[in-house]
Amino acid sequence: MQHNVKPTRSTSRGDPWPVRWGLTLAALAVLIVLVLVPVVNVFYQALERGLAAYWHNLFGDPNTRHAILLTLMVAPPAVLANLVFGVACAWAVTRFRFPGRAILLTLIDLPFSVSPVVAGLMFVLLFGMQGYFGPWLRAHGLKIIFATPGLILVTAFVTLPFVVRELVPVMEAVGPEEDEAAVSLGANGWQMFWRVTWPNIRWGVLYGVILCNARAMGEFGAVYVVSGHIAGRTDTMPLRVEKLFQEYNTPGAFAVASVLTFLALVTLALKTWLEHRERQEIAEALASTKTKEKQ
Amino acid sequence: MSITVQNISKRFGSFTALDNVSLDVPSGGLLALLGPSGSGKTTLLRIIAGLEVPDEGIILYGDEEVTHRSVRERNVGFVFQHYALFRHMSVFENVAFALRVRGWKQERVRQRVGELLHLVRLEGYEKRRPSQLSGGQRQRVALARALAAAPRVLLLDEPFGALDAKVRQELRQWLRLLHRQIHCTTVLVTHDQEEAFEVADRVVVMNDGRIEQVGSPHELLQQPASDFVMDFLGCPDYSI
Amino acid sequence: MTSKNPLVVVLEMLLGLCPLLGVGCGQANPDGGELLNVSYDPTRELWRDINARFIPAYEQQTGRRISIEQSHASSGSQARAVLDGLEADVVTLALWSDTDALRKNGLIKDGWEERLPNHALAYYSTIVFVVRKGNPKGIKDWPDLIKPGVEIITPNPKTSGNGRLSFLAAWGAVRRRGGSEEEARRFVTELYQHTPVLDNGARGSTTTFAQKKIGDVHLTWENEAHLEVAETPGELEIVYPSLSIRAEPFVAVVDANVDRKGTRATAEAYLQFLYTEEAQHILARHHYRPINEAVRKQYTAQLPDLELFPITAIAADWEDAQKKFFANGAIFDSIYKPSR
Repeated sequence: MQHNVKPTRSTSRGDPWPVRWGLTLAALAVLIVLVLVPVVNVFYQALERGLAAYWHNLFGDPNTRHAILLTLMVAPPAVLANLVFGVACAWAVTRFRFPGRAILLTLIDLPFSVSPVVAGLMFVLLFGMQGYFGPWLRAHGLKIIFATPGLILVTAFVTLPFVVRELVPVMEAVGPEEDEAAVSLGANGWQMFWRVTWPNIRWGVLYGVILCNARAMGEFGAVYVVSGHIAGRTDTMPLRVEKLFQEYNTPGAFAVASVLTFLALVTLALKTWLEHRERQEIAEALASTKTKEKQ
Repeated sequence: MSITVQNISKRFGSFTALDNVSLDVPSGGLLALLGPSGSGKTTLLRIIAGLEVPDEGIILYGDEEVTHRSVRERNVGFVFQHYALFRHMSVFENVAFALRVRGWKQERVRQRVGELLHLVRLEGYEKRRPSQLSGGQRQRVALARALAAAPRVLLLDEPFGALDAKVRQELRQWLRLLHRQIHCTTVLVTHDQEEAFEVADRVVVMNDGRIEQVGSPHELLQQPASDFVMDFLGCPDYSI
Repeated sequence: MTSKNPLVVVLEMLLGLCPLLGVGCGQANPDGGELLNVSYDPTRELWRDINARFIPAYEQQTGRRISIEQSHASSGSQARAVLDGLEADVVTLALWSDTDALRKNGLIKDGWEERLPNHALAYYSTIVFVVRKGNPKGIKDWPDLIKPGVEIITPNPKTSGNGRLSFLAAWGAVRRRGGSEEEARRFVTELYQHTPVLDNGARGSTTTFAQKKIGDVHLTWENEAHLEVAETPGELEIVYPSLSIRAEPFVAVVDANVDRKGTRATAEAYLQFLYTEEAQHILARHHYRPINEAVRKQYTAQLPDLELFPITAIAADWEDAQKKFFANGAIFDSIYKPSR
């Protein structure tokens, strides 16, 4: 999250009006063409043939139904894993100085810089039958690649940085003093975390979780690679959209796409609300720091 | 409860924060650790509290060795430089924290918090958030919170550093009074010699991770043990 | 029973949750087992129809209700996925070499072509042209493809069966008309210079051509061409060149998988079903050329007579063609340079 202290007063006030208006209009035009029109179009296309047809497109086709369910099943475990990992990792990184800390911080970002397709392939190469663990897994009757666990695994991988990256700056800003105070007052680790640390970071955590979830539900590339493309088994919503589109079922594709777009809009709304809250808390924190720093 | 520091050393990477430091704080004493920043005074305070573990040496509370006890088990009252009040809790809950984690009943908690808020003269502020308090009020909440569970020792890190001059003056006198009232062994860290001399019975001058001199304000001014002490205390103000 | 590795137990518990939650919202749980048919890109509609006929027929015959799952992507990557552990009971891939790659890796037993009728070939197909309505660029035969200003859409030969067959058909079109290897090489080199994008699979190319409206001519499976034209009424039309390649999408049971899952009998029955007259009609209706000539004769309007040269016209066999043209560093690599 960006915590802008205060926007610097525009110096462009002195710019001639054609420049100001030109730039504003250009930005607006780009927004409308690139963002607004496609988003509105998704809903238009999806609902063009009426609500009944829309409903049928979403829930009449068992494969589409399964894709929606599968997405709802894959995202939560991946998000939960990243929540636990994210809090633990942000904690370690901000509270301790240890050898390898810098490497850890860099590694956390790796999933952002690796192409999702490559990420998927990495897991195929590890857990596939030609990989290191594939034969062992099969010998023990376990399926990862081309099954739900594989989908969860790659989703968790590509969304790994969201919670950590959100939390590290929050925990840096909060600092370790309140935690130390809690321990010095006799709290055990559990009491310290739930009574002191958690209330201070919960909005940051929620923010990270929301972004993480949005990406988890929308992930295409990595999931595509490990899915095996089995209709009604390993197709998540984004994969289903592509499949429906390729099968000339454009209304069906747009119906599913509209659900994904709706999720994105909900995410956006939550994100905005949280940022608002966060700004309030930051303002309070800043107010308290100011009196602190006064000599 | 007396505090004994024996041959404590602490390094952070290649930086030596404390180099073979020994010190006695008599029971009920009020001692100031005085020195420039980087002299190791805060590190020493944190080691006494159990917030840092020394590389070498031991810490005794009375006759009991506590070197490897965690801060949680030592039952200390620690006042942090910026108070570290729990920002999402009310004043009441801040002060009650140590009692809550010890599982006190609500009735006893209310009574004890009432006593403490009376002691720090903050009755009526129970429902405020830390962000709604002035610096001096926050300082007193921090102190009340640290005293809640009747700590064996009271440790204060730059307790007046973040306050303006007038409030600081008031609080110093008040702290002396308070110390007389509760009579708890107290160590405070400061970089301000005036503050150290005014509040403490004994002052420890530190430099470069070592103790330069220990003595009463008077002794330090009359017989500085080293060039550093003389230098650091500067032009002695004989009017004190 | 020997005690299990605790790691396995934990993993089993974790993974066990997934199928519990996951299965059961698709088809009703079958009692006779499940088959997974791993196929190439354009055959989704075909197999959906075949499955809809086979499942009741099989139930009637054996009393067991099965379910059949389908997986579709480009032929080469599907073969790779099966090697990586995708548990296909049967593979119905576009090219012999993709299927045979599974044999080389021990998933299919030697001599698989001989265990089904007609050398494991239940239908064949070919590559034809699809052009914009009215054929504005006047594309009638292979040489027209490299006329100036013509943009060709066809998938990547490295991953796609359609892609490879387009290449082989173009190559063969020169060779069968008396051209030398050198002339054939020049022709395909130019052809791929007219190709603005190479999609990974057949369906991707169809989307590019029919829905994104890129390119003037689409080299695609005959069945895909018909589907594409039907789905975009009044926009596209098919052009049959004077000759093309005889594409042979073999089918095979994946021995290693069916033996582990105990689905061999069902899988074999499934593939045998393709040779029945009923299935041959379904194939023809989806514009695949049935091997049953009597059936094909009934569909000559949709599947016109056409000179189809076999792979042996340009290589010793499918394997040789794969090596000669598409192996790393072989002819395709030497003539194609990505424009971007």
